[in-house]
Amino acid sequence: MSGDAPAIEASGLTKRYGEVLAVDDFTFSVGRGEVVGFLGPNGAGKTTTMRMLTGFVPPTDGTATIAGHDIFADPLAARRAVGYLPESPPLYPEMSVEGYLRYVATIKDVPRRVRREAVDRSLERCGLVEVRRRVIGALSKGFRQRVGLAQAIVHDPPVLILDEPTVGLDPIQIQEIRSLMADFAAPGEGETPRAVILSTHILPEVEAICRRVILIHQGRKVIDQPLSELIAGGQSLEEVFGRETSRDISAGAEGAMENAP
Amino acid sequence: MRHVGTVAGREIRSLFVSPVAYVVLTLWAVLAGFFFLSNLIAFQTELVRMQQFGAFDMVRTVNLNDHLIMPFMGSMWIILIFAIPGVTMGLFASEKANGTQELLLTSPLTIWEIVLGKFLAGAVFVLLMTAVVAFFPGILFVYGDPELGKTLSGLLGLLLVSLTYVAVGAFASSVTSNQLIAFFLAFGVLLLFLMMPFIAELGATRGALGQEATAADLMRWLSTGSHFEQLLRGLVDTADLGYFAFVIGTFILLSKAAIESVRWR
Repeated sequence: MSGDAPAIEASGLTKRYGEVLAVDDFTFSVGRGEVVGFLGPNGAGKTTTMRMLTGFVPPTDGTATIAGHDIFADPLAARRAVGYLPESPPLYPEMSVEGYLRYVATIKDVPRRVRREAVDRSLERCGLVEVRRRVIGALSKGFRQRVGLAQAIVHDPPVLILDEPTVGLDPIQIQEIRSLMADFAAPGEGETPRAVILSTHILPEVEAICRRVILIHQGRKVIDQPLSELIAGGQSLEEVFGRETSRDISAGAEGAMENAP
Repeated sequence: MRHVGTVAGREIRSLFVSPVAYVVLTLWAVLAGFFFLSNLIAFQTELVRMQQFGAFDMVRTVNLNDHLIMPFMGSMWIILIFAIPGVTMGLFASEKANGTQELLLTSPLTIWEIVLGKFLAGAVFVLLMTAVVAFFPGILFVYGDPELGKTLSGLLGLLLVSLTYVAVGAFASSVTSNQLIAFFLAFGVLLLFLMMPFIAELGATRGALGQEATAADLMRWLSTGSHFEQLLRGLVDTADLGYFAFVIGTFILLSKAAIESVRWR
């Protein structure tokens, strides 16, 4: 992997579903060791953007590089560099936690000789050691979410993309997942520093663990700023969010972009 | 292509922790036993009757292959139409329902590795089913003297038909996230394949297809039955093998296109 390339470099990402423009000319970059809160109301294009970065759907226009690998020119290397937790964790209910992680490690091209080590490490980091032999379908929702996180980090990817990882969990579980996420940003022993993109619409979550905020509204980037700057001057993230997402910036409201802070 | 085995291995393990594999295999074994026995009894009665009527010339032409093994395998063929969709319905549909399709497609796997892995899993399962069927003619080799070549070619036929059905079933599973729909879609297509010669016949007698002899011929060629029958008779012809390869290849390509279409929608 090219060492000095930014973890994520997206330029002009656009996704069109027929007539609907889901993501419009989205350009941003994320460096190693950065944790970025990816905000936006439902339907703003968060999931679509993440799916383009992870290689699940190709962009209609524009491109992105993941750890220096272009998603079109070298899709396998780009996908190898991403750990991805979709909105609903992609689990096989009939598999054991350990068996599942071993399978994911295999398809993510973790070499055979270090596979066991990789599985053990991600079990440990996600607090799954005592349930390693349990069947996934029999686990509680909080544990299943942890297994989802474990599969995203099992191959020690330089880029981690998490789509609403705390939705539907109780407050204690949310707290656990949050501290796991904060933990992922800081690399463990022998791990590479990661770039983390966290999509959510829970604002306190962003304030708790992100240092930078990207706000997307109606498919366009409206804010890309460090959190500290954004809430400088005493306004809360909630106020910023409310103000930016109440405006209509879709076709015919082009001028709105210029007023964006 | 190194992950074909990984994908197939996971699929096979999943098949065997779910009840589906056991239900299908048990039913398959029980039905095989039943049909073998009923064909055996029919064979016996026929033989006794011929001897009673002193038709010794006919007795000499009666043999285990044509009068017992062939009808037995023919009956098992019909069961395949129900059994295989049950095995293949979950191949892709369950990945979509679980959301694991997103894991597969965002992993460094090629679509070919996914599709061939799934097909390989189905192939291993039908190999097991063929082995169950092979057990019964095996008994005849202990007590009688059937022709080995003919028996093996019949088993090969049964295996090829099964693989064809797996390819059809995999395709049906690749276009939906609902296993029940996948089952009935596969069943419907297989039934159509089975009925092809009858449709051709009907068309020919009614004159609808009378002039279009090619259409009727095409339908007859497309039906699995005629090719399977050749193999049951012990005739291993490249034309028939080519037919199976063609249909299997076509449906694997269709499945690949269906899985890929998620990306380009």
